Amino acid sequence: MFAQLHDISVNFGEVRALDSVSLDISPNQIHAVVGENGAGKSTLMSVLFGLNVNYGGQIFINDTRKTWATPSDAIKAGIGMVHQHFMLIESMTVLENIILGSEPNKYLGFLDFQLAEKKISNLLETYNFSINLHQTVDKLSVGQRQMVEILKTLYRSAELIILDEPTAVLTPAERLDLFNSLQDFKNAGKSIILITHKIDEVIANADHVSVMRAGQLISSLPIDGTSQTQISEEIVGVSKTKSISRKKIKAGSVKLNLSNLDILGMPQIGNAFNLEVKASEIVGIAGVAGNGQSELIEAIIGLRSSKSGFIEICSRDVTGADISTRRDVGLCYIPEDRQKRGLALGAQLSENASISSLVSKAFSKGPFLRKTKIRNFTEGLIKKFDVKASSPSALASSLSGGNKQKLIIARELSLESDVIIAENPTWGVDLGAINQIHHELLSMRENGHAILLVSSDLDEILTLSDRVLVMFESELSQSFCTEKVTREELGKLMLMKASDKKEQKKINTA
Amino acid sequence: MKQFKFLYFLKHNTVRYFMTALSLFFILLLLLNLADASFFEASQAFLKSAFGGRRYAYLYVTISRCALITGMAIAALIAFRAGLINIGGEGQLVIGGFAAAFVSIYSGVTGVPGIILAILSAMIGGGLWAVLAGLMKLKLGVPILVGTLLLNYPARYITSYFVSHPFRDVASGMPQTLLLDKSLWLPFIEGTRLDTGFIFILIVYGFVLIYSHRSVPGYHAKMTGLSIEFAATSGINIFNTTLKTLAFSGAIAGLVGAIAVLGIHHRFTDGMLVQPLYAWTGIVAALLINLVPWAILPAGFFFASLTSGASGMERTADVPKEIAIIIQGIIILFVASRATGIASDTKNKEEGN
Repeated sequence: MFAQLHDISVNFGEVRALDSVSLDISPNQIHAVVGENGAGKSTLMSVLFGLNVNYGGQIFINDTRKTWATPSDAIKAGIGMVHQHFMLIESMTVLENIILGSEPNKYLGFLDFQLAEKKISNLLETYNFSINLHQTVDKLSVGQRQMVEILKTLYRSAELIILDEPTAVLTPAERLDLFNSLQDFKNAGKSIILITHKIDEVIANADHVSVMRAGQLISSLPIDGTSQTQISEEIVGVSKTKSISRKKIKAGSVKLNLSNLDILGMPQIGNAFNLEVKASEIVGIAGVAGNGQSELIEAIIGLRSSKSGFIEICSRDVTGADISTRRDVGLCYIPEDRQKRGLALGAQLSENASISSLVSKAFSKGPFLRKTKIRNFTEGLIKKFDVKASSPSALASSLSGGNKQKLIIARELSLESDVIIAENPTWGVDLGAINQIHHELLSMRENGHAILLVSSDLDEILTLSDRVLVMFESELSQSFCTEKVTREELGKLMLMKASDKKEQKKINTA
Repeated sequence: MKQFKFLYFLKHNTVRYFMTALSLFFILLLLLNLADASFFEASQAFLKSAFGGRRYAYLYVTISRCALITGMAIAALIAFRAGLINIGGEGQLVIGGFAAAFVSIYSGVTGVPGIILAILSAMIGGGLWAVLAGLMKLKLGVPILVGTLLLNYPARYITSYFVSHPFRDVASGMPQTLLLDKSLWLPFIEGTRLDTGFIFILIVYGFVLIYSHRSVPGYHAKMTGLSIEFAATSGINIFNTTLKTLAFSGAIAGLVGAIAVLGIHHRFTDGMLVQPLYAWTGIVAALLINLVPWAILPAGFFFASLTSGASGMERTADVPKEIAIIIQGIIILFVASRATGIASDTKNKEEGN
């Protein structure tokens, strides 16, 4: 199937998620679409699959213009999608899951299971799949579940199959099987779109690679005309000019200290963590999301426990302490998920502003709240950070994304804690707010606070940090001085297999 | 600008209310026609037995019932606002009622100290029963909804066993305790037949208004209810908040049990707190008004009048009991469809992205 995406643009509020992207998909090909988180890969695919209908531009299938109202239109036209998170009903059998939504009917609306089974058996034979159709899905391995998802698209006669990060959850052996199947589909004339950020897989399996960054298509080339280095450079991009300058300050004493910290429930098996953040210092942790950054932060905040090692805040051991103790000792936290962790959307701004335990204590008299004081405080925060809100009693849900983030940052920074943990603090925020947030973080640094910045935006890390570490597959690299490392070197570390230690050494000695 | 908006709102809603009332009227007419009763007679009987009677005797019954329902509604509201779906009010109520009766009869303390002792033991009993469900949640992961619901049954049947066997008033021939000493009965208000139980509920009502809007524990509970992840990240101790809130909720349910025992029945009879569905009506009342604290008293009064009125219709206007109950249900349905949106915690309801 020939599919053409022509001049596709998508806006999410003020943020431009896709900027005039044009992409051609040909049959008999595996077409890889690569890029960082938030580069626009998934948005582009949701347009192609009919999940997002508010877009500018055109879609052509075999040279005829198409518009979808819902994904089922796209499915009818022969497009199938395998999502990163499987959409299967665990208590139902493989067969039932595959036919769900397009069941063959007999008379009186009874299901024709025999016909369905015959059809699926043919598919299994054609593509050399082996799976028990009468097994319930909850008994299947992750790889087998993915096979069921793929069978779902084949059963609906998909000619173009989109796979969103298909290897993220697979074991090496399962990956091999998957790519063998993809080759079979390709030889059968189907078009495959592979969304990933693992470059080695792209080089080994794809025929064509398109790189996306910040909502734009950077390049689209046959695999033979490109190299691993070129792709990874295109993914991270060249540095934008720094609009913010950091004053030179000598870092003070250690404020946050992780020592041999072995955290429970990391996504991959990694080493124990050792990390120091000093006063008047911003330490950046770069890396593609999902490599253990959020688990590390949860362990520091006190939302996740650890097997061994210890955490010190301001030279006080807080390893077993609860969140409110840690906050009182000197910790504040700007969470990535502002809707869930940063705010209670159904509560007023003043209720959101005054929650942190330390602040709460200043705003109460015995068991009673000091409402006027809370109101004045909230008004002060709103004014100081230029939060666009009607009044302190407005609901948090009435704020726009950027203003929500400003409120959270205003609240957390007002605590004047010694240690500040900032997790993607400018994620999905417009440019003006980004600059403001960066300025605030830098002025906290000048005032002697220790800041740990975790971000998947490499530019942000390089602009703000004194030192940088890269997190990959639940392991931290050693720390680099920001002035002495280039974004290309960091980009390589972010996308490299953990075993490729040679490369890392080369950078260190350079 | 704001005023214009308000007028616009009123105009449109007036029409809607009128339509709602009209359709309700026709459905009721139809039902009464089915039952062969005149609408006029039935509505008169309804009003009389809800708010009238000789020397307002029925009104006092309604107020007394309103106290119990409002109390249970408050118990539900406190827990629900904190995100704890405590539907075990019935169990906490029964435990409280039995504790009050048991302590009153067997402690030997009489008069005002006896009343205080009985009320305190009822509140402790109800509170502990609710805390049990909280511990099941925090230690074993049993959802609050399931834990509180399942604890209703042991509460009901343990007390049922107690009053049928070891603590039974054998002479009465019924599964109930002995009658309480007269000095422990809650007195009537001067010149009326209204017991002072509702005063306790008024105090609790005022207390809950302050708790919900002006106190630190109430604030913590509300934030936990709105977003448990946010509350935890901000340093609120979820373990303590859960247990404290449940204890408070259960204690109010226990208090209601004590009021029923000391003020109305003067003993504990098997099923006397379960059959009238005080706890479940309270939950419905709390949900009807969207968990907005000030509205809980009018809601309680609404349900109490409805119950009194419906039973009066049955008594004097020859409307069969089943039809009376159907009418009651339909009125609730109609009011619910209109009232839920009105009572809102804040004026600002705009949704952002």
